[in-house]
Amino acid sequence: MDHRTLIFATVFPVPSISHSTPTPISTPDLRYTTPGEAFGGPSSQNLDGQHRTVKRNLAWSTATRFLSLPKQLHGLNTSLGSGTSFDIQNRHRGAEVEDALHYLLIGDGRSEEAQEETLVEWYTNEARLHFANVVRPTVNNFWDKEVETEQAWSVLERTQQIFQQAQALYLEPFQDHIMPFLEHSFPPTPRPTKPTQTIQPNQAEHAIWRFRQEVNAIFVHCLPPKRYIKTLSYALYEAGCRMFRIYLRQDEMQEDLTMNPARTRERLVSLLRGLERVGLGGEPAQQAFAHAMDKIMNSFISSHYLKVDWFDKQPVVPQLRLFIRDGFYPHVKLVMECLNCDSTVQPTELQSWQDMALSRLGRARVDTMFDFVINWDHSLGAILDIKEYLKVPGAKQHLTSSFSQQVLRRLLHAGATTTYILNVYIRIIRAFYELEPKGVLLERVARPIRRYLKERDDTAKIIILSLLADLNAEGGRKFSSNSELSYEIACEMERPSGNIFGQEADEELNYNDMNWQPLPSDASPDYKKSKAEDVVWFLLTLWEREDFINELKNLLGDHLLKCQDPHFEREIRLLELIKVRLGDEKLQACEVMLRDVLESKRINAAIHSSTGKPSTKDNGGAPETPANAGPLPSTPRPRRLAAATPSSQLLKTPVSAKVAEDPQLNAQIISSFFWPLLRDDHFLVPLEIQTLQKEYETRFERVKGMRKLRWMNALGDGTVTLELEDRTEEFSGLMPWQVSVIYAFQPQPGEEWAGGGGGKGGGRGKGHQKKSSKTPAPAITRNVEQLEEMLEMDEALVRQSLSFWVGKAVLRESHPDTFTVIENQSATKVDENAAAAAQELAEVQASAQAGAVRSQADLLAENKDVYCNFIMGMLTNQGNMPGQSIGMMLRMIGNFTISGEELDWLLQGLEKEERIVAMGGGVWGVKK
Amino acid sequence: MALSSNARPNGGATVAGRLQKELMDIMTKPTPGVTAFPDDENMTKWTATISGPDDTPYANLVFKLSMEFANNYPYVPPVVLFKTPIYHPNVDFSGRICLDILKDKWSAIYNIGSVLLSLQSLLGEPNNSSPLNGQAAELWDKDPAEFQRLVLARHKTPEELDANAV
Repeated sequence: MDHRTLIFATVFPVPSISHSTPTPISTPDLRYTTPGEAFGGPSSQNLDGQHRTVKRNLAWSTATRFLSLPKQLHGLNTSLGSGTSFDIQNRHRGAEVEDALHYLLIGDGRSEEAQEETLVEWYTNEARLHFANVVRPTVNNFWDKEVETEQAWSVLERTQQIFQQAQALYLEPFQDHIMPFLEHSFPPTPRPTKPTQTIQPNQAEHAIWRFRQEVNAIFVHCLPPKRYIKTLSYALYEAGCRMFRIYLRQDEMQEDLTMNPARTRERLVSLLRGLERVGLGGEPAQQAFAHAMDKIMNSFISSHYLKVDWFDKQPVVPQLRLFIRDGFYPHVKLVMECLNCDSTVQPTELQSWQDMALSRLGRARVDTMFDFVINWDHSLGAILDIKEYLKVPGAKQHLTSSFSQQVLRRLLHAGATTTYILNVYIRIIRAFYELEPKGVLLERVARPIRRYLKERDDTAKIIILSLLADLNAEGGRKFSSNSELSYEIACEMERPSGNIFGQEADEELNYNDMNWQPLPSDASPDYKKSKAEDVVWFLLTLWEREDFINELKNLLGDHLLKCQDPHFEREIRLLELIKVRLGDEKLQACEVMLRDVLESKRINAAIHSSTGKPSTKDNGGAPETPANAGPLPSTPRPRRLAAATPSSQLLKTPVSAKVAEDPQLNAQIISSFFWPLLRDDHFLVPLEIQTLQKEYETRFERVKGMRKLRWMNALGDGTVTLELEDRTEEFSGLMPWQVSVIYAFQPQPGEEWAGGGGGKGGGRGKGHQKKSSKTPAPAITRNVEQLEEMLEMDEALVRQSLSFWVGKAVLRESHPDTFTVIENQSATKVDENAAAAAQELAEVQASAQAGAVRSQADLLAENKDVYCNFIMGMLTNQGNMPGQSIGMMLRMIGNFTISGEELDWLLQGLEKEERIVAMGGGVWGVKK
Repeated sequence: MALSSNARPNGGATVAGRLQKELMDIMTKPTPGVTAFPDDENMTKWTATISGPDDTPYANLVFKLSMEFANNYPYVPPVVLFKTPIYHPNVDFSGRICLDILKDKWSAIYNIGSVLLSLQSLLGEPNNSSPLNGQAAELWDKDPAEFQRLVLARHKTPEELDANAV
């Protein structure tokens, strides 16, 4: 029966193919006589044939009746649980049947030239039909709807059982009643030429093989393929999870107790073998298996290996490799064997699976890279995993892009303090150095961070102050999260910095360098070599060298003036450190500054020793507290520098009451040419100090060859002891103007004083100066204007000092703008509140004023007139302009650095003065 | 050859530098009644404003001028023109000015401020011996009232100028 006929038969049932019942016993189907032929006479050509047809029909009828399958199956119930068995009748062939079979199978009744249906074909159809009518409905019960995951196993197992039974049912008659005949007629002969996939030693076996195939095909077609694959894949996955003890999210734990891995494995193997037997193995099963293994690998990695070893800091990659080798790989092999796969598992696949697992682990790790960086170095294990992962192709790309995004989202936003960003950046440097010592990745990842840090105003300040911070002395207190100091940076300073000397500028041209290596192939053009571990280097190179050094100059200046450490060790070290990294030619100014302060100490000592002898006897007391101020071209190079000097006067601690009577002055002599612009408010210092300054000046001129000193009274600090009626208080670290103001509350010549009253000591400087003088019995009262006049001091400074003293409960605001000394504290309870309020105010003001180096705001105030002239000139000549353009012109033509707010402030000021008017829309014009 | 090619960039730099300095001078020590400001950041063109001196026909009037600096300034004088129409013996109707220091008497010690001051004083003391506007020179002495009338008739305020320009 040819293929075409079969296809046709599926649509238009052809009796000889589709007949489902054995041919009934009937009169032999003689063919009709053809016209012209003698009726009833023997056929002229094919008498033999006619006879054969009759005989074949008879035999057919007998054989098919014998072989037909029972219409019902007993005990095949549709529930999943109970086992059923088809009852397989043991049929005995009678002689008649025997003959018929023999005749049809190997005798003359064999179909010839594929024209008639063979008995084997009929039987195949019979089985097919039987399956459709009897078995299939049962199976469909299981598969019609989605298979619940919990039932996956039982459904599969049930299905497999049913199929197996059906298979047995169909095969048995075939084997018992058909095979013997076939085997007899065709003794086994090797047929190597036959190109079937399986080995078919002879036709008989070929026949049964074919039959088996047919039956299996029926089974396969009976199941919905996708659902089957899904279910099987789930079952395999679940088995895998149990065997490898992968715990999925919520449950599974208890179940696992009942099913140990070995039993699971057995069950799995038997199921797979069974499926394979009934023909459900093969392609779909492999597909399902591949799917399951893919999921198993993922689950395994996420359940076992995403855990980071925070304590031992070990990577998990080696274990993962072991798992793949000893768990995953054998499992795959086992299953493939069960499924009877043609393709065996190649050993090379082990490697590729390991790589696959590694890259999955790596990707999962990279997704949380930012957290690992934050928790460096407890996360070392995870970082090492990623390092391993980087060997996978494409991994670097993935790491940089993913991590950059994380950084962008989690770090570089306005909510993060600069200190925090710096700390994280340092951790990034360390973590990436571990990842890849060459620093290519780091460079790529850090670029946005560096750019962002550059934009922050306070970055340089924090870095430099942190570098100067004393790790031990601060006791960690200052390094809280919102502080201005970065603990990480301070720690960096503590590290030995030995290795940096190896890296000289022209490393590339050093032909004797035996350790030279080419740049990494994936480096970007501006990649700089090595130094990857040198955190300080990274921080110092954030800016252009000049910008950084300017900033350094300002901060160092401020710091040096305030610094208490007599030896300036940290400062010297920092400068050396920076010199090594940035080259020393640019740091001349900083060096001069450092030398200035050191030199000042020496000169102070010299001058004091010379003063000590002639004046008083107290020279032995505290020689380290001289204060001097002077134009000190102490450095050899700058002859012409104007030696402006901030003076800071020092008062020495009163060693005894007598010494305390003599204020002392220590000055710092500064070569103003090299220092940043320092604040230089003008005001008068107390008379005693002035005298001291004069004395100091003359001595200095003697020592230093007639160089002049210019005192900068606003710098420096002082200590005073106030002797009031009921108490004596000492204040140190005061601003000079504060000292001046409180000193002004001493009785002036001409004012009456009370004989035995308290004294106030005013002193300033780094040491302590002490003065005592008498205050009059009626407490002295001064108002703001008087003070301004007396001290020639700015109102702002006067007010700031006054509120400082009010805050210290030394003064009281008796009337608006009028202040009185609180001689007797107990008498004035009321003042406490006022004092507290004033203290706060003073603190705010002081913080705004504290810096020795002039701030942007100071500059603005100073340049206000020039700015205003510019604006006026612009508006007069160029006509009305919008505020934005004004700002732009100021920046471009005037080269001023002026911010939008500052400009607004200026413009509003001008508007108040009625010099300009707003024309609307942000446009300004000259007031006519 | 080499000289000239070198001279140009250097020249450019010094012109800008000089003008920048002059600007700063003007801004730090402004002269009442006289101001000037660059038109844009390359500084070669400026606009200046002078107000007419009291006790002259030009009292209470404001005049705008344009100044253009060659790239060998200050070795050559700037080109100065009145933008505001002015009736004056030494200024023609297109605003060109006849003033010796803007011509042959120019010297590098002059600067924008001095030029503007000279122009301001020229308003009160025209040089009637070499007029560009003969009628004005004649009327200056003969008929001050008519002169005043003509000055006011010709003058436009900066706002009117701007309106015409647009």
